[in-house]
Amino acid sequence: MASVEMPRGSLPVQNTSRAKKLQYLGILSGFTAGAWLGAAEAPTKLVTIGIPPMVISLIMVIGVFLARWSLPALILGTSSVRADVRRAPHLIIWAVLAGCLWAVANTLTIFAIRDIGLSIAFPLWNSNSLLGIFWGFFFFNELRQAGWRRWTGVLGGALVMCAGATLLAIASSTQAPAGHSLRGVWAALGAGILWGTMYIPYRKAYLTGMNPLSFITFFTFGELGMMSALAVSYTGLSPLWQELTSARSVIFWLMLGGFIWVIGDLFQQYAAKYVGISRGIPLSNSNQLWGLLWGIFVFGELHGRSSSTYLQVIGGSLLMMLGAGAIAFSSAAADEQARWKEAAQREVRRYGVEADYVEARMNGRQAADELVKPSRSAWDWLLVAGASGIFVLFAAIARVPQMSLHWGPVALLIAALLLLLLICGLALWRTTRFN
Amino acid sequence: MERNEITNVTSSRLSSVLTDIHFWVPVAVLLAGLLLLKFIR
Repeated sequence: MASVEMPRGSLPVQNTSRAKKLQYLGILSGFTAGAWLGAAEAPTKLVTIGIPPMVISLIMVIGVFLARWSLPALILGTSSVRADVRRAPHLIIWAVLAGCLWAVANTLTIFAIRDIGLSIAFPLWNSNSLLGIFWGFFFFNELRQAGWRRWTGVLGGALVMCAGATLLAIASSTQAPAGHSLRGVWAALGAGILWGTMYIPYRKAYLTGMNPLSFITFFTFGELGMMSALAVSYTGLSPLWQELTSARSVIFWLMLGGFIWVIGDLFQQYAAKYVGISRGIPLSNSNQLWGLLWGIFVFGELHGRSSSTYLQVIGGSLLMMLGAGAIAFSSAAADEQARWKEAAQREVRRYGVEADYVEARMNGRQAADELVKPSRSAWDWLLVAGASGIFVLFAAIARVPQMSLHWGPVALLIAALLLLLLICGLALWRTTRFN
Repeated sequence: MERNEITNVTSSRLSSVLTDIHFWVPVAVLLAGLLLLKFIR
């Protein structure tokens, strides 16, 4: 969109207020991401029959794939994705690379949980946010000239969240480690390193100006491709097909988990775009807190457990909230944002991306020569209808699990999710038009 | 003429990617992750 003529003195004031607005938007996106990513676990808990974890992951990723193509088509239209790719085609490589990193990390977590249990594995791979802070600082000038107060807020907040996550994982863990402890520790640490490094492509894409909706459409090729390759190599093509067909009555629930996960991840991408990976990732790691809320209040997971377990849950939750609050109050000041722009300039120089486009997109606006209003084509509606049709098809053959659920908390949690979706979605639309 | 320009832009972009540390760090971590997966399987 072309910039509006205004008196010279009001420009810096408007820029500062715009930057602040985007910071708040990023923080809100981080919290919303946590809620939706945590809720994604709920449909998978309905699946109690013995399906191999690799097959569960693959089915979820198929749901993710469908959602990652249909949501951008619905929100902005694929013409917007194509326009983004024309501006910075090199970013497709990073999107696919990030998808591959995600798939390998996710597979490693399966082995980590099997070998050392969730209580030890989770805090180890949750260290990804600390690695994200490091990469953000090292490669993208995040937290440079931020001052000790913001450093303490972000790093201290992330550490406190890790401590809280450890308590929650210990409290919610039900299985004992099954041996091979060293192998499990390596798997969990490996997953943390892979996920932490996955944020390099995220930040690179958003510094260059790519829309999160465009990034995720290519991310998912790496995700589905790598996950399929791993599943085939682990189980073999024919046994994998047999597992998939025998699991057809629960495929819907797993795909629904993937769909909910995509909504959470989309907000995580906006958080990474507007507050950087050093702040956005720890905030969206609050998903563990939401996952536990679903577990305790909907599925009655801690029913009959000792009072010390409940103390751990309360203590862990308070620590996570404290850490998230510390990060939320440490938003980037003007000096630090100037350093972000320097990192963006590197991308402009290196890849010949138009400076105006990068500048506009960093401010959540369209560039001057972009279409004012992205349009949806028949192809977009076909994509949305196709993806919805596949979901409806599997919903029709889905078996309703025989489980006792507490419907009051289900309604409350769904209401909270929808409220966050509405508030954050509206805020993103009003401020950036999803740019 | 135009085709030559497109080829030049593509190859220069590719060389920019291949000489970018932001590319090689994730690639190295991905390869290490795949090796780790093979080792613990």
